[in-house]
Amino acid sequence: MTNPKIVGFVCDWSVELAPLLNGNRLRDLPNVYVIRVPCSGFVRPGWLEDALNQGAAGVFVTGCPYGDCLNREGNFLMRDRVDQQQRRLQRRRIDPARLAMFAHGLHDREAFMAEVRAFSDRLAAMAGGQATPAPATEPAPAGGSP
Amino acid sequence: MSTVTAHPSRYGRFMTGLLRITLRLDTFIHKLYPTDFNPLYYTGGLSNLFLFILVLSGIFLFFYYEASLAAAFESVRYISDEVPYGGIIRGVHRYAADGFIVAILLHLFRNWFTDRHLFSRDNPWISGMFLLLFGGLIGFTGYQLVWDERAQVLTTMFLAMLRSIPLAGDGLAKIFMGGVGIGEGTLVRILFLHIVPASTLYVMLWWHYLRLRHPKVWPPGVWVLLLVGLVFLLAGVIPATSGQPATPAGRPTSFPMDVFFMVPFWLLNWLSPGAVVVLGVLLFVGGLAVPYFSRRETAPQMGVRHAGVAQVIDGNCTGCELCYFDCPYNAIVMVPSPGPGLSKAAANRTLLAVILESRCVECGICIGACPFEALELPKFMERDVRIEIAQAVQA
Repeated sequence: MTNPKIVGFVCDWSVELAPLLNGNRLRDLPNVYVIRVPCSGFVRPGWLEDALNQGAAGVFVTGCPYGDCLNREGNFLMRDRVDQQQRRLQRRRIDPARLAMFAHGLHDREAFMAEVRAFSDRLAAMAGGQATPAPATEPAPAGGSP
Repeated sequence: MSTVTAHPSRYGRFMTGLLRITLRLDTFIHKLYPTDFNPLYYTGGLSNLFLFILVLSGIFLFFYYEASLAAAFESVRYISDEVPYGGIIRGVHRYAADGFIVAILLHLFRNWFTDRHLFSRDNPWISGMFLLLFGGLIGFTGYQLVWDERAQVLTTMFLAMLRSIPLAGDGLAKIFMGGVGIGEGTLVRILFLHIVPASTLYVMLWWHYLRLRHPKVWPPGVWVLLLVGLVFLLAGVIPATSGQPATPAGRPTSFPMDVFFMVPFWLLNWLSPGAVVVLGVLLFVGGLAVPYFSRRETAPQMGVRHAGVAQVIDGNCTGCELCYFDCPYNAIVMVPSPGPGLSKAAANRTLLAVILESRCVECGICIGACPFEALELPKFMERDVRIEIAQAVQA
């Protein structure tokens, strides 16, 4: 089982990253590279797809808990954009489960790490089949291929 | 955000502590409720709900109230005892007022401690201070309208405060009373000072919402039902009552205290009326100054990049209005395009996005909204993000 490459866009105002980071990577999950953004709504959905196309096994965006965005709506908007991007990925025969949206507050470090770890495990369970283009005959099911 | 590189001031550390406590409270509440129902996320909507209850019950009470020294107390008694459900409506008006003050104070402190008042977001803060001032005034005049002994003491105290203002004080007191002493005109003026500021609150709310797109003006339905039910329950279980009727000869020295509206009068136990007025003015002016002087740390100390006001890249803008719809602060306006853009997609545009810099809080939400690469945060550009993505997938 290899460690899937994961890129995470994390809002500056959501989960407190300082105790979790080692450089730009999570200390406990070195396969996760964190890009900090001023608000989760800053992330352009195209970047997520680019990261997947450039070889990342999975991409996630983390915002504040829904309803508590510092900028009022950033995480709701980003959730909608991620949903939309997942449908777009499905049309392009890319497993939409490789893209995820999380919402965690300043103090939710454990929940954040647990969710990222579960995401990483899920991607690892996809067993690298997704890093190469999926078979073009049928769209990949949302739950990931066995 | 709490990666403190430099040493913030003692005040900065204090405010950061308050932020952490506020958000710690949220994690506690989230053990009870899903985040959608966290009442602290809807303090503004809760205030609005209470204000709505107040207006409806107030209209009911207005039909029965008589603003004269002789009849005011009797008309309030008539509402409580003889009008069907009058006592309940009076109690609802009373307890919704308390709920209103609690909700707006929660709203104030939460938005203060979570930094939602800084930089370009001063507009809601300033209008909010005026809403608070008027809310307090309306609550105070509401207690006077009952015209029992407490109302009389309050009026005396308020007049003492007014008179302590140099130069204008006596004139203001005269205007307030409608003559040299409390007379027939006084209660009419108090009723005016109760209802007109209450209507003005809605004008101020327009100002309050002016720079917000999709303001959350209403709490979730279950909270509406719960709070309306709670207010009615309180009104039924603990009816709002009057004290003894006011008499010109009466000189009562104490009255039932209401923590939400009576604080300035409570302070009169220790301070002179002039000192209370000065304190109130200082609090209000200090409140107005909060967005400009209460910055806990500089942006680098907060570990937050100062991203710079978003910029439209003229050549790429197609006038599609997506950023205009998504900006939470109404900081983007669409203007008729002065000429075609440079990119293929922008060649036939009719509109052009323009950023109102004074409203931009540099959050970057418009960057995420734009599929045409026509917006950038100057200090956090798309190019840098792409470099970071490349780094992330390389190793």
